[in-house]
Amino acid sequence: MEQKESQVPQLKLLVLTISAKFHAGYFRISLSLCSQALLWKTLDEPSDDVHAFRQVLRLLPYAVFVLLWSLALLSLVSLSLIYLLRCFLHFEMVKNEFLHRVGVNYLFAPWISWLLLLQATPFFTAKTVHYFVLWWAFIVPILALDIKIYGQYFTKGKRLLSGTANPTSQLSVIGNLAGARAAAEMGWRESAICMFALGMTHYLVLFVTLYQRLKGSNSVPHMLRPVFFLFLAAPSMASLAWDSISGNFDSSSKMLFFLSLFLFLSLVCRPTLFKKSMKKFNVTWWAYSFPLTLMAIASTKYAQQVKNSTAHVLMLLLSAISVLVSLVLMVLTALNTNLLLPADDDHIQSHASPSCSLEIIV
Amino acid sequence: MEDCKQHHLAKNDSPEVLPSLIKVITAHEVAGFDAVKQPDDVNDRFKSNGFHSSDLPPKGTETVCVEGQNDLSNSQRMQFVSISMPPSPVGVHLHNAKRGVFEYDDRAIISNDIPRSAVASKNSRQTKFYSQPIPKGPVVNEAIASGKSPKDPGLPPKNPRIDVHKDKRFDSFKTWSGKLEGQISNLRGKHRETEVDLETQRPAEVEILPADRYFDALEGPELDTLRASEEILLPKDKKWPFLLRFPISSFGICLGVSSQAIMWKTLATSASTRFLHVNPNINLVLWCASLALVAIVSFIYCLKVIFYFEAVRREYYHPVRVNFFFAPWIALLFLALGVPPSVSQKLHQSLWYILMAPVFCLELKIYGQWMSGGQRRLSKVANPSSHLSIVGNFVGALLGASMGLKEGPMFLFAVGLAHYVVLFVTLYQRLPTNVTLPKELHPVFFLFVAAPSVASMAWARIQGSFDYGARIAYFIALFLYFSLAVRVNFFRGFRFSLAWWAYTFPMTGAAIATIRYSVVVTNIVTKSLTVVLCAVATLTVASVLVTTIIHAFVLGDLFPNDIAIAISESRPKPSVKWFHKRNASSDNKNGEKFLKCSNSEGKDIVAASVLKDVENSHSHKVLETLILPVIL
Repeated sequence: MEQKESQVPQLKLLVLTISAKFHAGYFRISLSLCSQALLWKTLDEPSDDVHAFRQVLRLLPYAVFVLLWSLALLSLVSLSLIYLLRCFLHFEMVKNEFLHRVGVNYLFAPWISWLLLLQATPFFTAKTVHYFVLWWAFIVPILALDIKIYGQYFTKGKRLLSGTANPTSQLSVIGNLAGARAAAEMGWRESAICMFALGMTHYLVLFVTLYQRLKGSNSVPHMLRPVFFLFLAAPSMASLAWDSISGNFDSSSKMLFFLSLFLFLSLVCRPTLFKKSMKKFNVTWWAYSFPLTLMAIASTKYAQQVKNSTAHVLMLLLSAISVLVSLVLMVLTALNTNLLLPADDDHIQSHASPSCSLEIIV
Repeated sequence: MEDCKQHHLAKNDSPEVLPSLIKVITAHEVAGFDAVKQPDDVNDRFKSNGFHSSDLPPKGTETVCVEGQNDLSNSQRMQFVSISMPPSPVGVHLHNAKRGVFEYDDRAIISNDIPRSAVASKNSRQTKFYSQPIPKGPVVNEAIASGKSPKDPGLPPKNPRIDVHKDKRFDSFKTWSGKLEGQISNLRGKHRETEVDLETQRPAEVEILPADRYFDALEGPELDTLRASEEILLPKDKKWPFLLRFPISSFGICLGVSSQAIMWKTLATSASTRFLHVNPNINLVLWCASLALVAIVSFIYCLKVIFYFEAVRREYYHPVRVNFFFAPWIALLFLALGVPPSVSQKLHQSLWYILMAPVFCLELKIYGQWMSGGQRRLSKVANPSSHLSIVGNFVGALLGASMGLKEGPMFLFAVGLAHYVVLFVTLYQRLPTNVTLPKELHPVFFLFVAAPSVASMAWARIQGSFDYGARIAYFIALFLYFSLAVRVNFFRGFRFSLAWWAYTFPMTGAAIATIRYSVVVTNIVTKSLTVVLCAVATLTVASVLVTTIIHAFVLGDLFPNDIAIAISESRPKPSVKWFHKRNASSDNKNGEKFLKCSNSEGKDIVAASVLKDVENSHSHKVLETLILPVIL
């Protein structure tokens, strides 16, 4: 009895601590895993691509893919539960996240993960009613966030785009594009085009703003440098979405894919940009995996369309890189679980003042 | 006093010594500022260092003198630790100086490797301002600086005694191959040793000149006119070696002539212009001429790279000139596009990959800098010449598509389009932070027309027909052309430069795009537009050619001294005090290694924002270095 009594407050304390230290940035893990599931589904699905490389990949057992999907589902469910707890127990902190220019964009991350998982599901196809209901369930929060945040871009004084734009802002664009792709898979072409247009318009504005690098507006702290990889994710997602909408991987999709490829090369040629953030393991490292996986999926579609050897080699290379990166990250996370959540003193600081919420995000 | 005066005079006559530029400062000099009074030391120093203050009462408050001396010596100590180029003889007063060194040794401030020159500088320091009051701290440095500048310009090149060895002045720009270094050190006499040291040190220590420095020192639409307050490293009055005067923008001639070759080829071969009966030999002649030009200009520039690599480096870091590094490759692409049918019908596909590889590598570098570089971000360095970095993509796409490739051209087109949108918006915005845009119109604005016209042609080739995308791009180009053409009055009054050749190719490009459009939409309007635009392009090129010839042979100033590459690393009148104080406060705030580059201290006008930039910039490395600027 006594043991139980002492355990209960301990458990309560544990729950409180974890939910306090947790923040939306942790959804990077679920983003990566869900996109990995989608990659495996894309690689695995029957296609008219008769190239040898592609056929080799189909030899992998179906069970592996289901296992991966279940792992992704598990991670997403657990992360969502923790975040739900956080909303109930520490609503103030959630509000602070919403007001922070980096934190607000990660509020899209859970919905993107759910949408990707939905598209990757092996249990029902896109034409079923389950898909339809779930799609609506995930799209509504994205649309609500869109209206709030995009409206702020050009109306609200303190949170204008020129002041708050940073590479993570592309997550909102990715959210719209993921919704567009899911809708197109369902056959709802008009809503797909609507979400696509919404995403692409804001992507255009954001791309220009981020490239201009207006003074002081979009510098990110050193620890957050891995989010630069989000530059690759947006065009890749756009190319996938347009591919689903138009039915085949046409010129526009190709051009978007090429753009993401170029940006990838450009970032890879600048390792010093990421040097500081690679010193100690933290959850931001998961930001590398999701864009790479999206690019791998796009390259799969590209190889399917173009059908020559170079494209297939590229597909294999990118898929290999994304799988490798995800595996490495999983191993590192397993080895460094103590580093996943920030140290106690940071927590106390961050709890004290909203201005320190940046430390939480990091 | 007498012997002190003699010392003083003796010192004034001797040539100057230049110790190394960068020394490490320990914390002592700040702490031990109002230092220890050691009367016996003072007396010795008083004699040996030749310090005397005619203004101070000789009987003086011995304590006053002592304090003054201490202050002076302390600050002196600070100075000769940090100032790079004080004048002082090395050998003459060494015996006097040595005592001084030993006195200071126990305070152990200076690094031991340069005691001699350091002390020598100390001596000369005193000679310079013996009549000045003795303030403390950084103000002394300012006094030194201001006291110093009329006497000692700072660099050997400015020393009138150098007239005898005048070609040595340009050596700081020369490439340091081992042979050259050996030759030069052999040529120099002993009294020039230290100057050689300085110059041999300079290339090694010259860091990347930040973009801010170019914006500070230069002005004008092509960022090539020196501001009044600036000084340059090379002599203004002498004519520099030809290679130093040969800018990269000379490749503009190749661009202008080769695009004309393409235009005449298109005129001769298009269906809609058959009524003009254009002779195909015009294309042949122009093509051969442009081939010759490309060969000559490349050869000369290669020589410049071999012999004056430092100058090439400085051109690369120039915000406007860097875009001209795309020009050679674009010229080669134009040559491949304009190849006369009599020379070759079909070019091999591998040629395309060979030609595009340098463009691609340059692009990766430049666009990456736009995205992530602190100093060279787009909002700061965007200028109309940046179009040259974008046009290369479209020209490559056009060439690849006409060779029959599909994926590669599309890749380049996608990259070019994305970055063109960014650049276009930035330039149209004319952000207040963007100082490179000329307030008045200048021929460089014609580069706006280049990208959409070439993009339309490239898209038409890739798609196989002049479809809607190509037409949209073409109409944008046409609109920009007309909006500039009606303002032709505002293009008056600019100094001619070789870069003007580069501004002719957009007009030619628009003419070629019109020809292609008229093939698809053939009516009297398009045909007359074709004729008009081709005529205008030809006339422009002809007039630029005439102007070039006049400048080359009649006026003789086709290649003026290239001021833009010779700017100094820091402003002539730095306000050290500000930099010092701001540094300290920022250091306390950040607690990280602060960027103490010798360039940013001069910018006290926008110092706050610069310091912020400096904090934010990633690529600028920290030099744990002098507080004091290198006064050049």
